[in-house]
Amino acid sequence: MTAKTLGVLIAAAAVLAAGLPVEAQGPIRIGASMSLTGTYAKLGNYQHEGYKLCAKQANEKGGVLGRKIEFVIYDDQSAPPTAVRLYEKLITEDKVDAVIGPYSSPVTEASANVTEKYKKVMVTPLAATTSIFKRPPDKRRYYIFMVISPSEVYLEGLVDMAAKRGLKTIAIINEDTLFAKAAASGAAELAKKRGMQVVFQEGYPKGNQDFSAILTKIRAANPEVLAASTYFDDAVAITRQMKELNVNPKMYGLTVGGDLPEFYNLLKQNAEYITGATQWEAALPYPGNQEFNEAYKKEFGREPVYHSAAGYAGCVIYLEAVKRAGTLDSDKVREVLLKLEMKTVFGDFKVDQDGFQTAHKMVTTQWQDGKKVIVGSWRRAWLPRGGAPSPADRTRRSPNGERSRGRNVASPAGATPCATRSVAAGPLMNSPG
Amino acid sequence: MNIAITPAMVGQVVISGILAGALYAMVALGLALIYGVMRVINIAHGPLLMLGAYTTFFLYSALGLNPYLSVPATMLVLFLVGVGLQRTLVFRVVDAPELSSLLLTFGVSIALVNLAQLAFTSDLRAVEYLTGSFPLGPFAVSKTRLVAFLFAAGVTALAFLFLQRTRLGKAIRATSQHREVAMVCGIDVQRVHLITFGLATALAAAGGALLAVIVAIQPEMGQIWTFKSFLVIVLGGAGNYPGALLGGMLLGLIEQGASLFLTTQLSEVVAYVLLVVVLLVRPTGLLGGRQT
Repeated sequence: MTAKTLGVLIAAAAVLAAGLPVEAQGPIRIGASMSLTGTYAKLGNYQHEGYKLCAKQANEKGGVLGRKIEFVIYDDQSAPPTAVRLYEKLITEDKVDAVIGPYSSPVTEASANVTEKYKKVMVTPLAATTSIFKRPPDKRRYYIFMVISPSEVYLEGLVDMAAKRGLKTIAIINEDTLFAKAAASGAAELAKKRGMQVVFQEGYPKGNQDFSAILTKIRAANPEVLAASTYFDDAVAITRQMKELNVNPKMYGLTVGGDLPEFYNLLKQNAEYITGATQWEAALPYPGNQEFNEAYKKEFGREPVYHSAAGYAGCVIYLEAVKRAGTLDSDKVREVLLKLEMKTVFGDFKVDQDGFQTAHKMVTTQWQDGKKVIVGSWRRAWLPRGGAPSPADRTRRSPNGERSRGRNVASPAGATPCATRSVAAGPLMNSPG
Repeated sequence: MNIAITPAMVGQVVISGILAGALYAMVALGLALIYGVMRVINIAHGPLLMLGAYTTFFLYSALGLNPYLSVPATMLVLFLVGVGLQRTLVFRVVDAPELSSLLLTFGVSIALVNLAQLAFTSDLRAVEYLTGSFPLGPFAVSKTRLVAFLFAAGVTALAFLFLQRTRLGKAIRATSQHREVAMVCGIDVQRVHLITFGLATALAAAGGALLAVIVAIQPEMGQIWTFKSFLVIVLGGAGNYPGALLGGMLLGLIEQGASLFLTTQLSEVVAYVLLVVVLLVRPTGLLGGRQT
């Protein structure tokens, strides 16, 4: 009798307990590892602020699926292995409802292995390396989604403007590092496609301080356009030495660095008419961009940079997909994201079957009378060559095809035949916002 | 893609090589001095150059001092920093095995770079003073680099005069040749060490001050100069002061020549391969090792 009563009570309690979450749902907890300290701290914090503003605004509108949004953030100190551990912890221990991307290509590359393993959709707002998304068929990633434009298209605006003006010859130089190389090879590919002749292409080592010889060769090649895939100090040095050595192409464009206010402050009139490339500008007339700028300044007391806007947009895109799917189920949200076409404060969002961004436009800026003028934004013509594995890549694969976390993290070299790999920093690390 | 190399291009590159070489020679002379006198390889040489560049930058931006006039001031400031370093740290490892001095100066180097990052942030700075170039026939001679060349040549000449002619310079050379005998002859070796380290740091600082006008200033700009200076003194003969001059010029010309005839990516490779070859074929350097 007493035993029976007890049994009924337990059963009732179990039913009640099981029923509880349905009645009073807690917030949707979104986990992310962020570079709040370490090398990427400056930029990682901007991205974090983007997430925070997105959550705040979503909650003011009553949340998503009737639930509030809550971020669970850990600091990965800008270290990919730490981020791997943190995503593992977020998913298995904290049991978050969803995850969202960390800062930078290397950290994303490492973390994506974990989120794939647990089949968690991850929108990655600040990973620009093509090879994270474009992989051989047997190593495809199904649950990650790119938001920003890839490295290869940074110089596209310059090449396009030059081609439209009927310029025929281009010289391309780049720092010999991953991002700069990818941007240079993308520019070369596109220039050829547009019927331009690449008369000179060469890399230079990181930290190079004297560009006399390379510029002497460029002067001899006499190109109409010079595209330099740079960070910042090299951009300044090249521009100064061009002046000294009388290298005077009709058009001259840079990648990172050329769009920064410091660039003009240092070079003054020598910066005139030089173009730069960026993912986003505060002044762009994207829907809601002005409101975003104002809300951001009010919330954090500083101007947003593109890392803020990309973080904000990544979060908005994910929440929109959840809303449309009506569930947090990874596969259903994935289906929606693959078909989603959306305009955010960061610009257009649309991905292909690999989650690779195809709609976002780069912005090309130019210094005119000391002012940075947006001279255009470009929908990309560049697309990565198919994700098919090269024979070399096949042989390098582990024979049993096991999916060991250690292997993936420790040796991304075996991962992809693409020109851009994600071992070193992505394009964003050197752009001081 | 292949560009025909004309004599004018070679000439241009030779000019750039010589202009760069004088700067290499001056900075490397500092490293050679310390090595010659104390047998210490100063890994912090490049970071001290970086401090020189920042000193010039702050004198320029805060006091409006002409960057070229600030060269002596910067040298004086860093001379004192060098003396301080020798007084507090480096003197402890002068007679220790060479690994100890390597480790110590390596530590100092890391500390200097990170302190600079904390104090000055990683933001890039520059002194925008001279721009453009002087035309010289078919060649263009960069104004900033020409002035740097003249300064470097002048400072190096003064340093040599000092070493050759003055009592103190002779004492430094004597200590470099044989410390015990110098001591027996009544030379205050500790004092010579202090002055040598100060002087060497001042030479690095002069390099930093001149570079401040040429390249962007940031905390990590110096390390590459440690390696280049090391390369220069090994090429010329470690501890051999005229060897530093020869090595500096050689490095400048090799880097520029390799960039022209091969590719810029390979210019450093060529320089370091040459280092290995010199070490294998003529380990004492081109002009022979330490003067005895």
